[in-house]
Formats: sequence, structure tokens, C-alpha cells
Amino acid sequence: MLASAIPTLIFYLLAAISLTLAWSVVTGRRILRAAVSLMGVLGASAGLYLLLDSPFLAGVQVLVYVGGIVVLLVFAVMLTRTTELLEDHPTRLRQIVGSAVATGFFLLSYFMMTSDVFASRTLSALPKNDVAAIGRALLDTGEHGYALPFEVVSLLLLAAMIGGIVIARKPTALAKSEVPHG
Amino acid sequence: MAEFLAGCTPTLTHWLILTSALFSIGLYGMLTRRNAVGVLMSLELCLNAAAVNFVLFNRYLAPTAQGGAERLDGAVMTIFVIAVAAAEVVVGMAIFVAMYAERRTVDVTRLDALKD
Repeated sequence: MLASAIPTLIFYLLAAISLTLAWSVVTGRRILRAAVSLMGVLGASAGLYLLLDSPFLAGVQVLVYVGGIVVLLVFAVMLTRTTELLEDHPTRLRQIVGSAVATGFFLLSYFMMTSDVFASRTLSALPKNDVAAIGRALLDTGEHGYALPFEVVSLLLLAAMIGGIVIARKPTALAKSEVPHG
Repeated sequence: MAEFLAGCTPTLTHWLILTSALFSIGLYGMLTRRNAVGVLMSLELCLNAAAVNFVLFNRYLAPTAQGGAERLDGAVMTIFVIAVAAAEVVVGMAIFVAMYAERRTVDVTRLDALKD
């Protein structure tokens, strides 16, 4: 009894935390505070991965999302600080359009998800060794392997790294080096 | 208390409602935020909700293969989603920094140079 009560309690706790913090991410007027709230949402998602018996993914989530992506976003906030520190409230029209689209999407998916297809499903058996199985799947060149997407993702990360440096460096450096040739 | 909680064990539907609520909040943020970095944060919310969904479907819907070898496609997909999100944030941040150096603003409602 208690063994099944505790995960349920944790699920609803994490759900409440992530929904509250997500709301403050999209409506908070201080953008830096929104970044901190985003960190909380992603941390709560790491807890959800733990509840789904995927400790490796929870670790990846904390390492990459919380430790990497949020830090980059904080840098982006600090490097693009505008004169008005507080963001204005969105205009009435944008609020109406935004909430209409979001509510419409939620209702549409709600009615699809409460259908009978999903209601009867229960948890499938646990993979025996999570991390080793993921590693084998990533490097498998067979029918169900992910070796090619794995290599494509590594190329994508390289391209993103070089692209980030090229886009963000000072434009004067490029102009100066081209002047003698032109 | 314990009996009540054990009776409301979250099913797949509860999980899906949570993730779609998170996705909808992100959608609302994408449409209402004026700061471009805020738009990117809302996008991260959506990506994160979708990534949780992959694991969720893997745990509840994946066919268990013969011989006891379970498929982990959802977990692998989540890793790819996280990697793509990281690449996207790097390029997005570079674009915002370049944009700020050029126009002194990252307000998406004022970036309308293509209209002129």
C-alpha cells in the first residue's frame, strides 16, 4: 500500500511544481527569474524520468539541460540586456491569440488522450540494464540500430558549435581581414 | 491517506495530460513573449514536454520483443531531442548576440526589417 502511495504522491508533487514554475517561465516579467524557473521545470522533469525508471535519462537531463542549456540561456539574457529591465505585459491581442491557441491545443490533445486507446495501457516490463541497452542501441548498425542518427547528431553538434562561433563573433574582425584583399 | 493515494496511481492518461499541459504553457509563452530569449525558453518547455512523452510511450506502449530484449527507442529519441535542443540553443544565443550588436534590441515585435 505504502509502496504505491509514495510514487503517486511524488508524481502529483512534481506535476504541481512543474506546472507552477512553467507558468512563471512564460508570464514572469523578469527574464532572468524566468530562466531560474525554467531550471526548476527541467529539474522536475528529471524527477519524472526517475519515476519512469530511467535514471540515465534523468542524469542526462540534469547534465545537459540544467547544467548546459539553462546556463547558455542565462548568458544570452545577460549579453542582450536591454535598457528596459522589466518586460512589458503582452498586448491584449497577443494574450487572446496565445491563450486561444494554447487552450485549443490542450483541449484537442485532452480529448484524444482520454480515449480508450491509452486508458487500458499499463507499464511494460523494465529493460534489464538501462544504460548498456541504450549504448548498444546507439551503436547498433542493424535493423533497429541508431548508429546513423547518432553520427548525424555528432555532425549537428559540430556544425552548431562552429555556427555559433561564426555568427556571434565581432563583425569588425571579419571586415578588417577582408579590407586588404578588396 | 495512503489508501487514497494508492487508489489514484497515475495512469498513462494522467501523464499525457501533464505533458500536454506543459506543452500548451510553452505554446502560450512562444506566442506572447516579446523578448526573443523568452521565446527560446518557452520553446525549451515544449521540447522538454515532448521528450518526456517519448519515454512515457516507451514505458507504456512499446512492444516487448521476443526473447526478453526490450526496445528502448523512446529513450534513444529523448537523447536525440536533448542533443538537438542543445544545438538549437547555441545557435539561438549566437543569433541573439549578433542581433543585439546590430539593432540594440531583442524585442521580437520590433524586428521587422524584412517588411521594409
